[in-house]
Amino acid sequence: MIEMIKVSRTYDPNITALSDVSLSIATGEMFFLIGRSGAGKTTLLKLICNMETPSNGLIEVAGYNINKLKGKDLAHLRQKIGVAYQDFKLLSNRTVAENIAIAMEVSYKNPRAIRHRVRDLLGQLQLVDKHNTLTGELSRGEQQRVALARSVANSPRLILVDEPTGNLDAATTERVMELLTRSNKAGATIVIATHDDSIYQQGNHRIMELRDGNIHSLTRGSLK
Amino acid sequence: MNFWFAVFRQTGRNLHQTWTSQLMTFLTVSLSVLIFAFFYLIYTNMLGAGDRLSDDLRLIVYLEDEPGPQMQEQLRRKIQNFDDVEEIHFISKEEAYQRFAKQLGENSDVLQDIPTDFLPASIEVVPLKSLRGYNQIKLFSEYLANLPGTEKVQYGQEWVERFYYFTRLLTIVVLLSGTLLILTATFMVAYTIRLTIMGRQDELELLKLVGATNSYIRAPFLIEGILQGFMGSIIGLSALYGLFQWITAHFTGPGLLTLFQFTFFPPSVILLIIMSSICLCSIGSYTSIRKFLRI
Repeated sequence: MIEMIKVSRTYDPNITALSDVSLSIATGEMFFLIGRSGAGKTTLLKLICNMETPSNGLIEVAGYNINKLKGKDLAHLRQKIGVAYQDFKLLSNRTVAENIAIAMEVSYKNPRAIRHRVRDLLGQLQLVDKHNTLTGELSRGEQQRVALARSVANSPRLILVDEPTGNLDAATTERVMELLTRSNKAGATIVIATHDDSIYQQGNHRIMELRDGNIHSLTRGSLK
Repeated sequence: MNFWFAVFRQTGRNLHQTWTSQLMTFLTVSLSVLIFAFFYLIYTNMLGAGDRLSDDLRLIVYLEDEPGPQMQEQLRRKIQNFDDVEEIHFISKEEAYQRFAKQLGENSDVLQDIPTDFLPASIEVVPLKSLRGYNQIKLFSEYLANLPGTEKVQYGQEWVERFYYFTRLLTIVVLLSGTLLILTATFMVAYTIRLTIMGRQDELELLKLVGATNSYIRAPFLIEGILQGFMGSIIGLSALYGLFQWITAHFTGPGLLTLFQFTFFPPSVILLIIMSSICLCSIGSYTSIRKFLRI
């Protein structure tokens, strides 16, 4: 699903966020990115979804060189990628339901199917009572769950999640991971950038640790 | 859900969220159309009145003496040397007297003691329709004034001259107001769309990230422009029609407006104004999308 060959990303003035990262993530895999703040996790996710372009190297997603895609082709690929951003990117003047629905509206899903899917996701994340609440009025933890719900709403083939449990208690973290696991079992490839060792040590998924923009280790959860 | 359904829903949301600035633009477009159409309506009516007046236009050449048949033929030839004319009619002193008496009607008895040859003989010249521009008529009258035995040429010079200059002034007003209002309407629409785009930059960025196509993002803004142009021109023209009805209702009867036969625009002109307004607002919207929507 994802191929990265010698990918580097440098910011002005001469700050290297990623250096010569090569990586292959298979379709249907759940993959964890770990590392301290500033290690390059978020940059890696941004490069995969083409929010940023690499300074060097090649990135292929679903067989497409994502940096060469433009217009409709890029839009259609993005419809197949769900992203839960670290800063959530929620529209504070829109309701929870509207924020989640956006991901499906852009691919012209049936309004009834959208409503049904939104209610289902809110149920899974214990946010049913927040359906018509403006996201600006939610707590950080609730906003995080809404962002996550939006990322999986359109049943994407690839889900990128940046710190999904940063503001959540243990019980809610478990629900969030259940949701992601369900999507993974349904065939979605999932890449999770996290600090939270409780979520990546439980399974036997691959875990890549980044340090100062370089790959420090690539292990499996069960081996830890 | 198809593309257009999604786009119209998005447009509805945009209008709902930015209704105050949309209302201001809508009012500006309406007012621009109203002002321009008002002057244009007056202009077209003046032109119509000018046409009707020129139908009755004739030049009267007063002669020193009554011409004999040979002289009449010579004068006819000289007049036609300048240009073909619709009609040349010689009026003898006697005929002039009869006409005058007829015009006086019941009061014609005042002419009882006056000799029947006290009025001068004249030639009535009706110029061709193609020769009815103000300058051409002026030249023609100067030519007629130089004919042998001519005393004076009359064709309502002052009235024709004033009418001509008024029509020219009105043309300038229509052109100026048209240009200014076109610029205002286009600029206002462009500015509103720009404000909307800037106010919703986060949303537009998110739409892009979740896979909205450029058309999906751009189309609502273009539809907003089209709607503003359409609604603005409809309201502007409706207001003008209301004003027109009020004027015709309050100023009918023997007066200036009866003489002018004040008429509203024909459907083709109404359609043209609406289409132009839609076109201009779409251009305003499109330029803003191109300039400020970085997708």
